[in-house]
Amino acid sequence: MSTFMLWLRKYQGWFGAAGGLLTATGLYLGLVASPPDYYQGEVVRIMYVHVPFAQSSLLAYTALFGASAWYLWKRDPLIDHVAHAAAGIGVFFTSAALVTGSIWAKPTWNTWWTWDPRLVSFTVLLLILIGYLMLRMFIDERERQARFAAILAIVGGIDLPIVKFSVEWWRTLHQPLSVSPRGVSYAGDMLTPLLIMAIGISLLFTYMLMVRTQLLYLRQLLDAKKGRLLSQAHL
Amino acid sequence: MIWLYLRWGGIVLAGLVIAGIAAQRYAAEVRPITPEQLLGGEVSGRTRVIGMVQPGSLVVAPEASPQGEMEATFELAGAREQLPVHYLGPADDNLRELKTVVVVGRLDTAGGLFESGRLDLVPNYGFVTAAYLVALVPLALFLFLMERRVAVLYTVTKATTAYKPEVDSREQG
Amino acid sequence: MSFIRAIGWIVWKDLVSELRSRESFSSMLFFALAVILIFSFSFSMDREAIKELIAGVIWVAFGFTGIIGLGKSFTVEMHNDCLEALQISPASKGAIYLGKLLANLLFILCVEVMLLPLFMIFFNLELLEKLPVLLVIMIGGTLGLSALGTLFSALTVQIRAREVMLPILLLPMAVPVFIGAVEATRGLLSGQPFDLYRPWIDLLLVFDVIFTIVSFWVIDFVLDD
Repeated sequence: MSTFMLWLRKYQGWFGAAGGLLTATGLYLGLVASPPDYYQGEVVRIMYVHVPFAQSSLLAYTALFGASAWYLWKRDPLIDHVAHAAAGIGVFFTSAALVTGSIWAKPTWNTWWTWDPRLVSFTVLLLILIGYLMLRMFIDERERQARFAAILAIVGGIDLPIVKFSVEWWRTLHQPLSVSPRGVSYAGDMLTPLLIMAIGISLLFTYMLMVRTQLLYLRQLLDAKKGRLLSQAHL
Repeated sequence: MIWLYLRWGGIVLAGLVIAGIAAQRYAAEVRPITPEQLLGGEVSGRTRVIGMVQPGSLVVAPEASPQGEMEATFELAGAREQLPVHYLGPADDNLRELKTVVVVGRLDTAGGLFESGRLDLVPNYGFVTAAYLVALVPLALFLFLMERRVAVLYTVTKATTAYKPEVDSREQG
Repeated sequence: MSFIRAIGWIVWKDLVSELRSRESFSSMLFFALAVILIFSFSFSMDREAIKELIAGVIWVAFGFTGIIGLGKSFTVEMHNDCLEALQISPASKGAIYLGKLLANLLFILCVEVMLLPLFMIFFNLELLEKLPVLLVIMIGGTLGLSALGTLFSALTVQIRAREVMLPILLLPMAVPVFIGAVEATRGLLSGQPFDLYRPWIDLLLVFDVIFTIVSFWVIDFVLDD
């Protein structure tokens, strides 16, 4: 059992507890204690989940990018598990951000989907992450899987800002940039629950990353112990 | 493993408690009542009433009041009853015929006139509930399943011994 | 073997083998024909509507045709262990990448140029006087697709489900290419002044430069064995 994994197991509880407490506080403040926004009725409360989730999905891709670069540099198989875990969690947070954003858009602009640059960039992000996971699924040798996946993550990371920029540009050409979920201005006392939820969900993301990394590592360890990986030299 | 289930039972409980408090607050403060309920004497004091501005009943004062406020009278129509409303508050485009509005104010029981100082938008709590459910329930489910799998894997991996390939007896010696 | 010579040899090798078998070329051409035919059925002959959409149609046809060609560029190496032969040859991996990139670019551009008369016929377009700028846009867009596509082709040829994975990986990342190419083509075809759609061509060129360099750096890891 690697020391890194044991370290993760020891400290994951702190992140989980802190994240859970902050999220609960944020939920309470957001749902129970804060006033409705005048211009959007109660719908602005969706922002309390949408924005933290979108933030966490970007955090997930940052973790993926960093872990992939580190892997190509140091070739540490444990870091490869971190990258794989980050991608899986990233898919979850990105889809949830897209769905909650869509649910927010319907009462606000009376449409389920809008060609908003952020929504399109997030969709591209989701597709890149799904492509990453599929690539991993189709390669059996661990070393090649880790290497190719890392390359894909890095190329994708360089691509994402360009995608965001070009979609923004394209959108301003065809339609003036209307209010996007990020562009809503918040009243002062709505900022506190939002901040607490953002930090809470980010901590929960870190916790999920730690748990999932251990899961992937243990799965591989079990495979190794059962002799399924004897054909591969690199573990 | 026991701790896992206990912990998650507690989390689900906490979630339900918060949801319960939120629902209660919604029913008490946020959800508007219909004119029938108001005239039936169910609540008093400051209340929020939802209804449609009856066409033909809207009379808006042509000039703003000294404080720059808009003054109007109209009939707020519910399913069966109508509530006369006198509005004195910030100028609002939403005050139009056939539009559904929420008026916030107080019912003058003596004259039967509802004095309102503010309009609110029709709340869309269905969407809010949907968004929270879509976000938080899968999060909890995902996390719970991962933790359970990790706990199982820890015990199983510790218990499994490393695979020893069979050694051909002719190779020894 | 010097760098430039290695690139030259790889381009020559691909050209010769393609001229002999015409496998890649013909599949690209006939696929594109089918796509154009289906598109011409999908739109009624409403001239105004076509003007709006034709840029997108052109680039959808070019894009999917390009993906077929890009996929084939490395799958042909799988016969007779040619891929391994390339990997152990003294040519640097970067040279292999650039050689393949140039070869792909040439093939796909050839097919695209052969498709232009078909677009003119089926959709009633006036392309002759716009040809120079159109060629620039086509080179910019095709280079963008090929830069990433050659890298991903080298990557996916070594895994299972390779025909499926190439478009899945390439298309999300190539979104800026499609946006830039379609907007530039639309500007060109609707007669806008050059300066108005010039920024899109700049976007294409920036994308091309960035991703050719990135793929050049990264190809060492892909062809590592």
